[in-house]
Amino acid sequence: MAEKNIVEMHNIVKRFGAVVALKGVDFYVRENEIVGLVGDNGAGKSTLVKILFGIYAPDEGEIIIKGKRFKRLTPKKAYELGIVLIHQERTLCENHPIWRNVFMGRELTNRYGFLKIKKMKELAYKSLAALELTKMPVDTPVKYLSGGYKQGVQISRALTFEADLVILDEPTIALSLAEVQKVLEYVRELKRKGKSAIFISHNIYHVYPVVDRFVILNRGEVVAEFYKKDLTPEDLSEIMISIARTGKVPKEYEELNLYKKASP
Amino acid sequence: MADIYKMHGIKKIFYEFKLQFVITIIFLMIWLAFYLLNPPAFSNTFTYTSIMGVAPFTIIPAISLTLIIIAGEIDLSFASVMALGPLVMALTWQAFGEPTPLGILLGLLAGLGAGLLNGILITKLGIPSLIATIGTLFLWRGVVLVVTEGFSIPLGEFRNTLIYNVFVGRVYGVPVQFFWAIVLAIIFWIILNRHKFGAYIYYIGDNRTAARMVGINVDRVLIIAYAIHGMVAAFAGILDSLEMATFWPALGDIYMLKSIASVVIGGTPVTGGIGTIYGTFLGGMILEFIEMGVLASGVSGFWIRLVHGVVIIIALAAQGVIRKGELARIRIMRLLTT
Repeated sequence: MAEKNIVEMHNIVKRFGAVVALKGVDFYVRENEIVGLVGDNGAGKSTLVKILFGIYAPDEGEIIIKGKRFKRLTPKKAYELGIVLIHQERTLCENHPIWRNVFMGRELTNRYGFLKIKKMKELAYKSLAALELTKMPVDTPVKYLSGGYKQGVQISRALTFEADLVILDEPTIALSLAEVQKVLEYVRELKRKGKSAIFISHNIYHVYPVVDRFVILNRGEVVAEFYKKDLTPEDLSEIMISIARTGKVPKEYEELNLYKKASP
Repeated sequence: MADIYKMHGIKKIFYEFKLQFVITIIFLMIWLAFYLLNPPAFSNTFTYTSIMGVAPFTIIPAISLTLIIIAGEIDLSFASVMALGPLVMALTWQAFGEPTPLGILLGLLAGLGAGLLNGILITKLGIPSLIATIGTLFLWRGVVLVVTEGFSIPLGEFRNTLIYNVFVGRVYGVPVQFFWAIVLAIIFWIILNRHKFGAYIYYIGDNRTAARMVGINVDRVLIIAYAIHGMVAAFAGILDSLEMATFWPALGDIYMLKSIASVVIGGTPVTGGIGTIYGTFLGGMILEFIEMGVLASGVSGFWIRLVHGVVIIIALAAQGVIRKGELARIRIMRLLTT
C-alpha cells in the first residue's frame, strides 16, 4: 500500500513535572483513514492529540504534517495546516448563531474585512443539509441545540473549511443513544468526503463501526495497533481488558498486532 | 413555546431583540414620567438640547467600552485617559498659541498609547483587566495632576474658531457633539455586527478557548480593542474640555461609573459574549434624562443618584427575568433538537 501519511508523530515525549505522560510515542494517520485512538483514562490519548493540535508543546520528538517537520505547533498553525479539533461542546460560541459558528475563525469577508453574511448563511445551510441538520434555521443560537446537533455543527465547520484531518476528542460522551448514531454518521460523511480523522473514545462500541485502524495507548505508550478488519468488537474488548490488567496484548492476537517494538 | 427561529416578521424581531425592547420601554417610561411631572420643561426644546450637549461625554466612552465588556474584560482607566487626551491637546494649543488640529491628533494618540499599554499589561503580562486598569487609572490621573499641578487650563480664547465648531458647535441649536456620538455609535455598530473584528470580539467574550482553537489571535484583538477604546475616551475628553472651554484636571472622574452603568443598563452583561451598541446608547440617554429631569422637576439634585440607582436596579432585574425565561426555553429547545 502506497498510501501517504497525512500526519506522523515520532518519538513524542511529554512530561508534566515528574509525571511522564507520553513515553516516546510513534503515531501516524494516512490519507482518508479514520483512526480510533483508544485506551484507559490517563493513557495519554488527549495529551497526544493536544500536542498534535498545538495546545501542548512536546518535550521531545517531532511532528510531520504533509511533509513539513515541526518541533511544536500552535492551534493557529494546526488550523492553517487543515487540522480541526472537535471537543465536547467546547469549541462553539453558545450565544451565536449556527452560521457564525460554522465559519468561526475563517469568515468570508471582502478585502476590507466586512462579512459576507448572506453567502456564509447559504454555505452553512448547504453543509448542514449534507448532514441532514436542517431542523433549525442557521440563525438559531447554538445554545438552543442538543449535544448531538452541536457536534454536527462542529463537523460541518470541519467540512466547510476543507479540513484534511479532524480530531474528535470524546465526541460521544454524554450523548443519548440516538445522538451517538448521528455522530457516527457524521464521521462516515468525513470518510466519504476523503478526509482523515482521529476518533478518541473510551467506548470501543462507539469507535468500532466507523474506524479503519485502532491504536491502543497504555500509560503513555503505544502497545498495540490493529486493522479493524482483523478483529471483532469482542476481540478488541478482550484485548483492552488484557492490556488494562497486564499491560500486554494476549498471545493469540499478537501476530495481528501491527505495532512492533524496536527493541525487545 | 414555539420555535422562535422559525417565526417571521414582528414576532421574531420582538423575540430576538427583547433586551432592546425592554431598554426602549424603560427609556420611554422615564421620559413620560418626567413629562407628567413637569410638562413645560419637557416640552421645551432647550431641555433636549441641554441633554444632547452633555450626554455625549457619558455615551461616547461607553460605546467603545461596550466592545471591551463584550470581550469579557473591563476598563476603568478611561476616566483618566479622558483627562490625558485633552491635556496633551491643551498644552499643544498653548505652545502654538492657536487651536491647531495637531493638538487634537496628539491628544488622540496619547489616548491610543494609554489604551495600548492597558492591552499589553492585560494580554502579554496576564494581569486581570480590573487590576491593570486600576493601576493605569491612578497612573494617568497622577500624570495629569503632576503636569498641571492641579490647575485648570483655560481654552476660552480659542472659542468660535472653526475647529471648535467642528467638535462642539451648534447646528440649528443642536450640539455638534451629539452628532459625533451618533456617528460613533453607527461606526461601532457596523464594526461589531458586520466586520470580522467585531465577530472576534464577540467570540472572545463568549468562549475564549474556542476562539484560540480556531486560530483567532486573542491577544492582538484585545490590544486593538483597548487601543481604540483609549483613543475614543481621549476624544470624549477633548469634546468635554472644548464644551466647557476649560481643561480641568479632574475631567473624566464623574463619567467612569456613569459610562459603565450605561453599558450594563443597555443589556451588556459584565460576563461578556453578548451586548449591543443600541442598548449602551439608550442606557446613557436614560442616565442623562434622569439628571436633567430631576433638576427640571425642581427637587433637590441629591435625588439624582438615588433615581439612578433605582433605575439601574430595575433595568438589571428586568434583564434577569428575561434571561431566566430564556434558560427554560433553552432546556425545551435542546430536547426538541435531539
